[in-house]
Amino acid sequence: MPDRPAGGITPDRVLVERMAAGDERALGELYDHHGGTAYAVAVTIVGERADAEEVVADVFGQMWRTAEQFDPSRGSVVAWLAAITRTRALDLLRARGRRARTIERAASMSDEGLAAPIAAAGNAPDRGPELDEARRLVRRSLAELPAPQRRVIELAYFGGLSQSEIAAELQEPLGTVKTRMRAGLEKLRASLGPLLEGAA
Amino acid sequence: MSEHSWLESAGAYALGALAGEERSEFQAHLASCATCRAEVQSLREVTALLAYAAPGEVPPPALRDRVLAEARRVRPIGAARRPGAPVRWIPWLAAAAALVIAVGAERRARLAGARADTLAAQLADRDSLIAGLTGPEVHVVSLAGTGRDPSARVFWNHRLQRFVVMAFDLPAAPSGRTYQLWALAKDKAPASMGTFNTNAHGQAYLVIPVDSSVIQLGFLDKCAVTQEPAGGSPQPTETPRLVGTWVHTD
Repeated sequence: MPDRPAGGITPDRVLVERMAAGDERALGELYDHHGGTAYAVAVTIVGERADAEEVVADVFGQMWRTAEQFDPSRGSVVAWLAAITRTRALDLLRARGRRARTIERAASMSDEGLAAPIAAAGNAPDRGPELDEARRLVRRSLAELPAPQRRVIELAYFGGLSQSEIAAELQEPLGTVKTRMRAGLEKLRASLGPLLEGAA
Repeated sequence: MSEHSWLESAGAYALGALAGEERSEFQAHLASCATCRAEVQSLREVTALLAYAAPGEVPPPALRDRVLAEARRVRPIGAARRPGAPVRWIPWLAAAAALVIAVGAERRARLAGARADTLAAQLADRDSLIAGLTGPEVHVVSLAGTGRDPSARVFWNHRLQRFVVMAFDLPAAPSGRTYQLWALAKDKAPASMGTFNTNAHGQAYLVIPVDSSVIQLGFLDKCAVTQEPAGGSPQPTETPRLVGTWVHTD
């Protein structure tokens, strides 16, 4: 996710620098930018709102404590946040002995996949038009993938499954799963270009 | 494996979908291949955006307050931290128990002064340390030296999700080296809990917020300390200097 241009919203990177210096307001602002997204990811993975809240509290706690170690040359703040959120949510799911909602839905998943029903679900009011735009683009890009490609990507990302586990889950050859994942990610990289910082 | 095949694994790795040997082999390759590292980083930015595809659930307003309240509790303002080190140093503490009283007195007497910020940070450090050591949910492991005198105790506070480490008589690691704490569990690769060094007296006191790579205590058998190159190692590179088994304090 690109840093916001001048004019109102402080870039994430600057917020993280201020967090490292102990500025709680910066943490609040980062939460205002991304809390809704982190929560949505957590709910999708863990399936329970109370658990998702715990995950989000953990995620921002970890970002707060380790803000000083954030290295912008190694990736964006959103990539950092998304990685922590996903890891925490999957950890909690494993600790609870549950499987991700995404996996439960995999068997019955229609061609619409995860992205389609979301469009009507309303937008979290945490960052206005720009966030809406990002959501629209990501959902449209996912929706435009061939269903088998989208499915393996969603199972990996929201279900925490490895390629071999996905192959077993879908009863497809491992090689097929690998090819689909690679092709789907390449298409996403192309279609999400406008959202990618310094995209080639 | 050819360079090309390695690159083909970058997407799966960025998605967290490589497992077992495939994953560790790819990680080993990453250490020496800038092309694959760049590809993983690029694809991580792509996969991170998938977060926006999650259904638009709105978090309850109280969650924001909780996040800020926990931040206030966990990390003291202005705490000095070593660059790049995943642990936070605690100023020297004589005895945690005795401090509880001292802390209250100091808080009242001094907080209004110009040193308020520094003191608040120190108090928060101490509060944080004491909180980490006390309570029925605390587990402890004593690490004994293997053929030497040093020792360490590690406290795990489940409620606060943090480790408190105290090391004694452990000579400071030389320049370019560091001590690294490991969580060990049966049939699992050691998980790094962070790096630290001891002071001139061979002592260290530190608080380590739990990292997602460290598994839940239920899966945790032992704790160990090795000496590693500065910055720490992905896996221990020597026989542990200290090792101990977790016990419950009740």
